[in-house]
Amino acid sequence: MASDGGSSSLQLPCVFSPKSRQYLAVCAQDGRLRIWNTDSKTINQEYVPSAHLSATCTCIAWGPCRTVKEGPQRKKRKSEAVQVEEKADLLAMGTAAGSVLLYSTAKGTLHCSLDEAHSAGVNCVHWHPEDSVLYSGSDDTNIVEWDLQSGKMRSKWKADRAAVTSLCVSPDGKLLLSAGHVIKMWDLDTKELYRKFTGHSTAVTTLRFATTRPPDSNGLYFVSGAAHDRLISVWQVREDGKDKNSVVSFTLTDEPRHVDLVPSNSKEEAVRLAVVCQDGQLHLFEHFLNGPCKKPFSPSCSVQMADTRESPMPIPMLAAVLGRDSRSVLLAYGNHLQPVIEQVVSVNTTERHVCLSRDVKTSLSLTMESTVSKVKTPVVNTKSKVLVPGLPGHQAPLKGSHLEKASEKRKKDTKEMSIAEQLGEIDLSATSSEKVKASLQTDNYAVLLVQGLESNDADILNKVLQTRKEMVIKKTVARLPLSAVLPLVKEVGHQRRLCFDTGILMVRWLKAVLMHHTSYLASLPDLVTELGVLYHMIESRVKMFHKLTKLHGKLYLLMTHVATSDSSNMVSEVDHTAKLVYEDGEWD
Amino acid sequence: MVEHGDVRVVHKGGSKINFREPALSTDSRFLLCASGESVKVFSTATEECLHALQGHTDLITGVLLRPSNHLQAYSCSLDGTVRLWDFTDGILIRTYSIGYPIYELFQLVAVHLPQCGEQLVEAKELSAVLSNISSNPAASAFGREVRIFRCLEVYFFKNFFLKKDNQKGGKNTFTCITCHPTEDCIASGHEDGKIRLWRNFNHRKEYTYSTLHWHHSAVSSLRFTPEGTNLLSGGVESVLVQWRYNQESQRDFLPRLGGAITHISVSPDGALFCTSHSDNKITIIQSCVKVSAVIQGLVKGDRIRTDLMIEPRSKALVLNGKPGHLQFYSLQRDKLLYNLDIVQQEYIHESGLEQFEVVMAAFDASGSWLATVEERKQKAPELELNLKLWAFDDQKQSFVLNTTISAPHEGRITALCFPHVSDGQTTMLVSTSRDGHFKAWQLAAPGFIKFYLILKGPSWSCDFLGAYHSLVPECCCFSADSSLLAVGFQEVVTVWTPASWELLTTLSQPPGAVRDLCFGRLSCSKYLLGATTSRLLCCWNLLTCSLEWVTSMDVSLLLADPLSENMAAFCFEAGSTDLFVFKPGEPRPLFSHKALCSGRVTHAVFVPREVMLESCDEASQWLNCSHLYFLTQSMDLLTFITKAEEDKLTASSKQLVVSDDVAMTPFHLLLGKHRDQLENPQAESRLSVEPIRQPSSSAGINELLQMPAHVLPSASFLCSMFVQSLLISKEEEMESEKEEEDSDGEMESRISRPEHMPSGESGCAAPALTKEEVRELRRLKKLDHSWMKGLLD
Repeated sequence: MASDGGSSSLQLPCVFSPKSRQYLAVCAQDGRLRIWNTDSKTINQEYVPSAHLSATCTCIAWGPCRTVKEGPQRKKRKSEAVQVEEKADLLAMGTAAGSVLLYSTAKGTLHCSLDEAHSAGVNCVHWHPEDSVLYSGSDDTNIVEWDLQSGKMRSKWKADRAAVTSLCVSPDGKLLLSAGHVIKMWDLDTKELYRKFTGHSTAVTTLRFATTRPPDSNGLYFVSGAAHDRLISVWQVREDGKDKNSVVSFTLTDEPRHVDLVPSNSKEEAVRLAVVCQDGQLHLFEHFLNGPCKKPFSPSCSVQMADTRESPMPIPMLAAVLGRDSRSVLLAYGNHLQPVIEQVVSVNTTERHVCLSRDVKTSLSLTMESTVSKVKTPVVNTKSKVLVPGLPGHQAPLKGSHLEKASEKRKKDTKEMSIAEQLGEIDLSATSSEKVKASLQTDNYAVLLVQGLESNDADILNKVLQTRKEMVIKKTVARLPLSAVLPLVKEVGHQRRLCFDTGILMVRWLKAVLMHHTSYLASLPDLVTELGVLYHMIESRVKMFHKLTKLHGKLYLLMTHVATSDSSNMVSEVDHTAKLVYEDGEWD
Repeated sequence: MVEHGDVRVVHKGGSKINFREPALSTDSRFLLCASGESVKVFSTATEECLHALQGHTDLITGVLLRPSNHLQAYSCSLDGTVRLWDFTDGILIRTYSIGYPIYELFQLVAVHLPQCGEQLVEAKELSAVLSNISSNPAASAFGREVRIFRCLEVYFFKNFFLKKDNQKGGKNTFTCITCHPTEDCIASGHEDGKIRLWRNFNHRKEYTYSTLHWHHSAVSSLRFTPEGTNLLSGGVESVLVQWRYNQESQRDFLPRLGGAITHISVSPDGALFCTSHSDNKITIIQSCVKVSAVIQGLVKGDRIRTDLMIEPRSKALVLNGKPGHLQFYSLQRDKLLYNLDIVQQEYIHESGLEQFEVVMAAFDASGSWLATVEERKQKAPELELNLKLWAFDDQKQSFVLNTTISAPHEGRITALCFPHVSDGQTTMLVSTSRDGHFKAWQLAAPGFIKFYLILKGPSWSCDFLGAYHSLVPECCCFSADSSLLAVGFQEVVTVWTPASWELLTTLSQPPGAVRDLCFGRLSCSKYLLGATTSRLLCCWNLLTCSLEWVTSMDVSLLLADPLSENMAAFCFEAGSTDLFVFKPGEPRPLFSHKALCSGRVTHAVFVPREVMLESCDEASQWLNCSHLYFLTQSMDLLTFITKAEEDKLTASSKQLVVSDDVAMTPFHLLLGKHRDQLENPQAESRLSVEPIRQPSSSAGINELLQMPAHVLPSASFLCSMFVQSLLISKEEEMESEKEEEDSDGEMESRISRPEHMPSGESGCAAPALTKEEVRELRRLKKLDHSWMKGLLD
């Protein structure tokens, strides 16, 4: 299929470009046509038709892919560029005023306009897959065939008693489907009615051929969807003409808004269908077309989208196209002014319902700054972790001979209040009579520290570890029971990491521990694992020490230099003018 | 040896677009730039490449609009030809063969076919003379004689000053030069960042000059706007400076344009400027000094330091681009998608300043993790390294920084790789470094951090530190199922198991350090291949831990196709690179291509195809699953294409012909028909051999037409004189008849006054002029319009 079919005037057109899906053309509420790039997910261009408010755009169809013109035929040399890219270029827009505009996305300008054929609004436009011919169907019940080489109307015929709401040209370019009251199939060579189908009770919004035409013409199928109709019907064009009714139907949750279809080339190949409904859901179908089936099919997968707020709201889908492999779908969702385009790689077909949550900007800015910088900035927030040398995780954890994960028990302390009170009392008593109870205080500190370590109480630990007096630290450590030594070392390590300003205090504690309890620590079997972090920290510090000393020296030099130059400025200039001038004028 | 008749090497984009100054079309809608062997025509509105003008067989060295026809342009090339193009339709009109390589194209005015040879040779000699001294002299909007005179004068002038400056030891060598369009003034840019405006230059003895100084280093390009009111200058600072002519203290700046500005050009109508940058970019700037579009090619820094990678989500090619950025390049569309700012620090354009650069990057198999290494080297011992791990956030549809590891190693990181996990989450990354270690990083939940920090989500931390006899690891590779990790420590390949980090075995083939390691895939997964610096390609069988085979070739790059068993080896042999594609288990190569390109190929990548090919031809079978892209030393992106594929492409390429008539605005409805009428004969005469000759009196007519209506005498007064002048004597008619016979196809286009065509039939009549009309036109040309001149005076 060259392009997507037209869509009814009730909804805003939103169409992906064919083949490579490079662009998404959206005509938003403000009447502007915006082309979005699906690769970079940014707006590519914006076009305001000259009569965008009176003659709003009702339907969009991408033209067949433009291939870059080959030069004169000559012998191909090595490393000559090949024109592999197939760019979607032209875009046909039907307007409510009855004209058809052709817009060139490569040039960013209007290519030409086709008018003076329809007396009422255009409902649908469809390109011929091969020739440069365009078909448009209108409210004035006519179908017009445009010759694009000359930009003139080639022929025009009355298609139905009611407005023509949808059109579709068969993949081989020989048949045309039109939908008015009934669905009619026209032979494009003779412009004669070929077949008639009963159609839907409401306006048909979608017509797509589901198969390329096989040699026996019994295998030609097409699908149709209509407004207010929660069904997609499949019709078979049969040789014998007994094809008034639909053969298969697919159920939807709401009326279809955007239909994408991968036609099957043979009986062994399934037709894949992606339907975006009015309620914003996407339904995927996969079906082998062979003859009628009474029971309607339900979707093989339904995709919904929601935002990331606390009470998630659904995000409506705008359009979806199927990728070349069966697992990927290209989605456009959000609103028409700023659609978000995403390639969903693995739509899980084993699950019937998929809900994706996406963070969509809710604030809308009507004036959009087009990005001319071509730079994307990835998100860097405070949640990201920074590992510098010395922090755990920067070096591999040291592992001892036997690997044991010491399970850390964290008791939820219930006696928090009481300890805090106790601490307060001690503080009071300490301030009231320091000198007398100095020894008692250190004793209390040791007890407190043990309590704090056991209960993991941050308050107590902070109080104790903030001590600045060297003697107090020494005595406290000396009185510490052996079982509390290891937890203390760990705690000190943590403190050391978390608050960089208290580092020097922690070093004092560590020093005291090592002075008093080295023999005990050395006797521990899993010393390496327990103290690995500490070891790495010390190591990295030692490595940095050299550099830091250098830096310190340089800074010192600079600072003293500045200081001396400042002070030399302070010294007032020596006054060279003479304090007293004696003029001896009376020599003679 | 398998022949490669069906598989061709083709150029696949990525060529330079900043090589020469681009040309903007008169109406500012198109931009023409020389890009390798073709001229690319871009739309200035949409940044799209409309078409490439192909035909030259060597590097194109200049593009210039044809002054007499705003729809045509000249291009010159090292192949010794000048070609005339219709760039709106992409048609080659004519080729002038010169016979010498042309390095620079000057403004050509009034090209006559018999004379053009001489003229161009002359131009070539000129440029050869000048290129000895400085880069590109430029003169604009002058007649030819005046221009040559000026160029020569400038040349003497340069020589003169160059000597003088050298004696002084100053740094004010000329870097660029431009002429004022209307006044007698030349602006020159200098190495020391000064701009000098030389006035009264025609009188050599009395010239004066004034100096403008803003740039801190060399001025690389200078241009006057077409009216001469502004002077634009640019340099390495990537700031476009707009100086007001005669009020030089007033300047406008447009900073942060990207790479250093190499060329500036201005459209003839003055509506747009464009600047070429050293990072293969053209910025289009509106005359109000606002960037309106950026045409960006594949960014080429001084070198590519990362590997070529394919982003699994968008299938875009990823490599390092701008300093501190990773670029995402669409291979299907030959277009840069975006640059991802990794370093997130302002880049300061100054020579000699070391700044952070992205040197390594890796994607995991599903594209949900990106690891980047950035490096700043001031001195060897003070290397600054950052390893950043970015997670792709589905909700935000963007990469989010997860973990920054500063100084992950003490030495430079030599390799970075993720294991190939087919489904599920990647939780491991291995980095090897010059410091003699390799580290395994693991994604872990924040378990061991106590109650102080609340970290949401998992982060990366070091899991294992490996080393082998204090040798330096150079490369690492995971096996296809990620159960084995091979790390090459100089001569020794060590094989580890990532599950428990045990050293399983060591393999070695001395002498020569292992440069590249690669595990086989699928049925060949028992093989491990390694390329050594001693020109050996070794294949080890991991089941027996023994050497399976070894062959002698200087492999510069070894690559495995992720979707098949094939491996590609780029071998450097006698100044050029050969490619061998082989299966590790089979003795014969599947495909070989001798002398792929000159120089080493060090960057290549297999890109999975969207649709598998079903070719059963032996030589092209290896291309069924993937494309192979590689970068040459000249930074051209090349690939292979099979015959079948090419046939398919040419068969399906069909030109869609759609007429282009925009009749939109009310103004156009009023005026467009007249314009059509004026333009159509011109369009027909486009292919004519003769250039447009201005009749002697056309100036008078033009003057009359441009005159405001209120200053003209009444129409009735004019009419009788005009009709009088239309009456031609008998001899004149005969003469014109005769001329028609001998010069068929020559047609005059410029004067066809609208009064002569009835306005009703103008639309359809214009393309097909009847014989009488042609004759009438010709007669009109012959007319003596001097009566008007008298009238106007």
